[in-house]
Amino acid sequence: MRKVIGVLLAIALVTGVALVAHRPGPAGAQGGGTIEATVTYAGAPVVEKLKVNKDTEKCGTEAMIEKVVVGPNKGLANAVVSVPSAKGAAKAVKTTVDQHGCKFVPHVTAMTPGELDLKNSDDILHNIHTYSTANPSINKAQPKFKKMMTEKFEKPEFVKLTCDVHSWMLGWVAVMPNPFFGVTDAGGNAKIENVPPGKYAVEAWHETLGKQTKEVEVKAGQSTKVAIEMKK
Amino acid sequence: MSPAGVGGRLARGVTLVASIVFASPALVAAQAGNAMAGKALYELRCVGCHGEKGDGKGPAAELVVPKPRDFTTGLYKIRTSANKAPTDQDLFRIITDGMPGTSMPSWAVLPDKERWNLVAYVKAFAADKFKEAPKKLELPKDVASSGESIKRGKEMFEAIECHKCHGTEGRGDGPSRAELKDEWGHPIAPANLTKRWTFRGGASRTEIATRLAAGVLGTPMPAFIDSVEKPEDIWHLTNYILSLGPDSPGYATLVTVTAVSDAIPDDPSADFWKKLTPNNIPLLGQVIVDPRNFNPSVDLVSVRAVYNDKEIAFHLTWDDPTQSTADPGKKLFADAISLQFPPQPTPGVERPYFLMGDASDAVYLLRWENGKGVTESTANGPTKIAAIQGAEATGKAVYANGQYRLVMKRPLVSKSETRPTFAPMVFMPVAFQAWDGGAGESGTRMSLTSWYYLRLEEPQSGRRFVIPPVVAILTLAVMLLVVRVANRRA
Repeated sequence: MRKVIGVLLAIALVTGVALVAHRPGPAGAQGGGTIEATVTYAGAPVVEKLKVNKDTEKCGTEAMIEKVVVGPNKGLANAVVSVPSAKGAAKAVKTTVDQHGCKFVPHVTAMTPGELDLKNSDDILHNIHTYSTANPSINKAQPKFKKMMTEKFEKPEFVKLTCDVHSWMLGWVAVMPNPFFGVTDAGGNAKIENVPPGKYAVEAWHETLGKQTKEVEVKAGQSTKVAIEMKK
Repeated sequence: MSPAGVGGRLARGVTLVASIVFASPALVAAQAGNAMAGKALYELRCVGCHGEKGDGKGPAAELVVPKPRDFTTGLYKIRTSANKAPTDQDLFRIITDGMPGTSMPSWAVLPDKERWNLVAYVKAFAADKFKEAPKKLELPKDVASSGESIKRGKEMFEAIECHKCHGTEGRGDGPSRAELKDEWGHPIAPANLTKRWTFRGGASRTEIATRLAAGVLGTPMPAFIDSVEKPEDIWHLTNYILSLGPDSPGYATLVTVTAVSDAIPDDPSADFWKKLTPNNIPLLGQVIVDPRNFNPSVDLVSVRAVYNDKEIAFHLTWDDPTQSTADPGKKLFADAISLQFPPQPTPGVERPYFLMGDASDAVYLLRWENGKGVTESTANGPTKIAAIQGAEATGKAVYANGQYRLVMKRPLVSKSETRPTFAPMVFMPVAFQAWDGGAGESGTRMSLTSWYYLRLEEPQSGRRFVIPPVVAILTLAVMLLVVRVANRRA
């Protein structure tokens, strides 16, 4: 029995040490730099329109499926800019996607692995139907009286969100391996702060245009600009 | 981490494993199949639809709706487990019983062992999806059906908006119907809750409650276990769904035409019709001549027929999820239905060819079409149809909540030779054809029946109230006489 306890103790010790050794330093250490990314796309915006035959008081009479949103100066909205190779612990930040006006708001949500709150502020039935490979796919009803649901996304992946009741509803959840990411605004800009200094490949991902990467060097306390052009 | 903690965790782990292995009777009953033996059988029986690679792309796949299962994804519609993977028992049951309303037949003809071997082989297409042992889905405590429970179920049905897909009365005609796609992007139809013999995973209380609780994977049907107000609402919903239609269609073998003495109402919604027993007739896709219809929309028509001294009337009820008139731009056609008779009652068993007759023997068609009304015609085959001049028939239809109700009337006696005359006590051949124009059906793309028989009941008279008592009295008198004679002899 003593032997067994001894062995178990040894295992526990080793595991403990390993855990401590593996724990990364505090995210966004003071000496970090900033990446200011601009994502552009020279092509035309892609917006599909659909006539709505139900719930028009909540959804409107015409649904817009915004597949490619291009702003001024060819800025591409809804692209996820990230630094996959940077080292940093995931922050447990509560992220929320709202189903509002029969749209997922925001259209693209980025988060580190953990829980995602799914809100239904429409007062009608929606169903959260996800398409994913690394995370288990979900298909759960969210009737009008269920205002909030929480789901876990534990593995890094781009998860597609759909609603079968309203087929035009489309959203994305970008589950990122580290906290160094941003989603581009209407002008195609995203800012990533507190990136540990070093040379990295910055990645831009878009739901229909795919991925592009660009090399950057991040210096402590400085801001580095990077322009990424998406191609079809 | 303390050693005691680790020990405790180990102990708990062992208990957990033990409880999974021993506590679940479903798993104990399962047999370990031999995947290699299953492969040979699979390649003989299953490849036609499911494909050699198990990807659901066999040579017959393009003809069937819904599409054959793609085993490589490990995603299965019907499961009794709480996690994604179905239990071996779930797979075994589907292989054994087949899936109603789909092209998957029952393989109960194969010995148990061979079916278990198939389970093992089918799982091997997505082995990683079956690594995690299935967890049993725990349903809330059963609530027996009652008026109150059904009422609560209806409330919940409305609150969770089942009607969005399944329709207000459950006929699969909800507004989201046209938009629904399965995981592979194929259009998919919501279940018609009034025809539960077509439920893919079975129609028992537990099976319905399980589908509601866990959803149907790979389809738009979501899980509701966490999305009802109280867990027992799953059972109230089940009881309500069970109240929407009969257990089985109870198909008729003969269409009985009831004799009435009163006037026959034109209105298909009149109470008059509700009092008559329906004759339910199954329809199948027309697959004999091109273009064929492998996936017919109308699979059942309920016939109520009456006659009086002047006319005969047919009241037809059938489900159609969309009310449609002809719109060539959208490739939509008018919904239609027709009754087919020989032009004259035929002596013996000789009847015209059931598929709208042929060159030598014509048939008479009594047809209703949405937007056009009732027409009469003579057909010498499905593409040789000629209208009969001088209409004698009339009709009126209503459409509501995914269902047509139609009354077609005609004089009992016809003046011309192209139309049959109906006489009591004569077996008259009858056949049915239906078109769901919204599903692109027209012409030979129809659902139909082969010949049935129609029989006009003997006219009701007062005699049925007189003869039986007279017979009874006479019998009694004879018996008394016999007793008396016997007593005398003794």
